[in-house]
Amino acid sequence: MSNLRLPFTLFLLVAPAVAAAQDSRLAERLDGATAASVQQVVDSARRDGLPTEPLVQKALEGSTLGASDERIVAAVGALRGQLGRAREALGGKASEAELTTAAGALRAGLPPTALRRLQSLRSGRPLVVPIAVLTDLVAEGVPAEQATQSVLDLARDGRPDDEFVALRRQVQVQRRGGAGNPAGRPALRPAADPPVDR
Amino acid sequence: MSDSDAALVARTLGGDLGAYAGLMARYRDKFGGYAFHMLGNREDAQEAMQDSFVRAYRGLGACRQPDRFGAWLFRILVNRCRTVRRRLQRDRRFDADLPDDIAAGGSRPDSFEWRDEIGQALGRLRPHYREAFLLRYVEGLEYSEMSEMTGAKEPALRMRVKRASDQLRELLRDVHAG
Amino acid sequence: MPAEHDDRIDDEVLQRVVAELRRPVRLDPTVDQRALEEIGSEAAGWPASRHGHRWGAWLAGGAIAAGLLLALLPGSGPREPATAVAPAAPAPTAGGRPIYLRLEAPTSSRVAVVGDFNDWDPAATPLRPAGDDGTWVVELRLKPGRYHYTFLIDGRRWERDPSEPPAAESDFGAPVSVLTVS
Repeated sequence: MSNLRLPFTLFLLVAPAVAAAQDSRLAERLDGATAASVQQVVDSARRDGLPTEPLVQKALEGSTLGASDERIVAAVGALRGQLGRAREALGGKASEAELTTAAGALRAGLPPTALRRLQSLRSGRPLVVPIAVLTDLVAEGVPAEQATQSVLDLARDGRPDDEFVALRRQVQVQRRGGAGNPAGRPALRPAADPPVDR
Repeated sequence: MSDSDAALVARTLGGDLGAYAGLMARYRDKFGGYAFHMLGNREDAQEAMQDSFVRAYRGLGACRQPDRFGAWLFRILVNRCRTVRRRLQRDRRFDADLPDDIAAGGSRPDSFEWRDEIGQALGRLRPHYREAFLLRYVEGLEYSEMSEMTGAKEPALRMRVKRASDQLRELLRDVHAG
Repeated sequence: MPAEHDDRIDDEVLQRVVAELRRPVRLDPTVDQRALEEIGSEAAGWPASRHGHRWGAWLAGGAIAAGLLLALLPGSGPREPATAVAPAAPAPTAGGRPIYLRLEAPTSSRVAVVGDFNDWDPAATPLRPAGDDGTWVVELRLKPGRYHYTFLIDGRRWERDPSEPPAAESDFGAPVSVLTVS
C-alpha cells in the first residue's frame, strides 16, 4: 500500500505546479474550460519555440470583444498554425516580431513563397517592415500579386525601410482620393509576371 | 473644456507633444482653406500645412505672443505656400475636390460646378494676385497685416487685390449669370 | 472679419466667390501625424540614428490607411531655452518608443483604446481630449512589433483607427486596426 501512496503523493506535489503555469490573464478573463484550451495551444507553441504572447493577446482580444468561447479557441488555434507556417517559411532564425508579422501576412492570404522570396532579397536585413507593408497593401485592397511584385521590387533594389512605408503611404493617398482622384488606382508598378521563386 | 493657445504652447515647450497635437488639430481646418485655395489641390495644401506645423514647432520658443499662436502659424503657412508653389514651378491643376465640406449645398451638382469654376478662375490668377485676394477678402486681413506678412508694400497689395477682383469678376460673371 | 475701407466688395459675383472660399476645407487629419513623425525623426537624428521608426498612418473614415509610427524620443522639445520637463505620462508598456494615437470623436464623452499592448483592457488606457474640436489623444510606449487594437467609444461602441490599416481579417467581427512599430 505504501508504495502506491508515494506516486500519488508525488502527483499531488506536482499538479499544483503544473496548474500554476497557466497564464493568469487567461484564468482571469476566460472561463475555466476556455482558459485551459487556450493554455494548451500556448504550451504547444512554446514547446515548438514559437511566440506565445500573440496567442494570449488573441484570446484576450476575443474576450474583450465579446466573442464566443468556441470562436476564441478557434482564433487562437488558427494563429498558432499561422505562426508555425511562418516559421516554416522564414526558418528558425526569424525573430518573434518577424514571425508574428509573417503570420499576419499568411492570414491575409499571401503565400509562404512570397515571404521566402522577400527574405532572400533582403539578404539578412530585418523583415518586419517589408512584410508589414505587404500585408497592409493587401488589406487596403491592392491585389496580392501586384502588392507582392512592388514590395519585392523594392527589396531587390535594396531600398531602405522608409521607402516601403512611403509606398504604402502613396497607395493610401491614392486610394483615399476615390472618385475625386482622376488616377483612381494606386500607382504601383504593374506586375509583369508572377514572382518566380528559386 | 479646451486649453488656450498659450497654455498649449507652454505645455509643448515643456515637452508635451500631445499639447502640440491639440494645436495642430485646432488650426489644421481653420487654415486648410487658405492653403487649398492658394495651391489648388489637397495634396499640396497638406504638404504646406505639414511643413508649417513642423517649422512652427521648431521655432516655437520664438513665438512672442503664445496667445496669438494661430496668427503666428498662419504667417508661416503663407510663406510655406509660396515656397511650395515656387518649388512646383507651375500651378498644379486646381480641382474642386472638397470632400468633407459642410453639408449645406455640398451635394448639389450646380454648387459643385460653381466651386469648380471658382477653383479654375483662382488658378488663372497670378499667384501674387491670388494670395492678396485670399488674404484680404477670405482671411480678412488689414493691408498693414498683409504687408508685414508678405513683405510687399500696401499700395502694391491694393493693386493686386483690385486686379484679382477684376479678373475673377470677369472670369466668373458668365457662370454666375448662367 | 469683414473687409473695411474703400475696397469693400459690392458686386454679387465676388460676394458669392468670397462666401464660397470662406467655407471650411478639411484637410486630412493625418497631416498632424506626419508632422509629429517629422518632428520625432529630427529629434531622433534619423537617419543617422538607428532608433527605428514608427510611421503614423492616416485617414479619415471609410478609407484604409496604414502607416508605421515614427518613434518620438522623450524630451524632444523645440529648440528654445525652456525648463526641461518630462514628456507626458507613460503608456501601458514600460520602456519602448513613444507612439501617439489620436481619434476624432467630437460627440463622445469618453474614448479608450484596447489592444495587444494593454491586454485588451478597456479600463487601462483612456484617451484625453486635445484641442476643442473633439480630438482625443494618448501617448503609448511600445516596443518593436505589430499590434492589433481598436477604440472603445463611450464604453459601448468599437471604432477602428482610420489612420492605420485594418486587420486583414477581423477574427471576432469588430473593427480592428494594426500598427507596426519597427
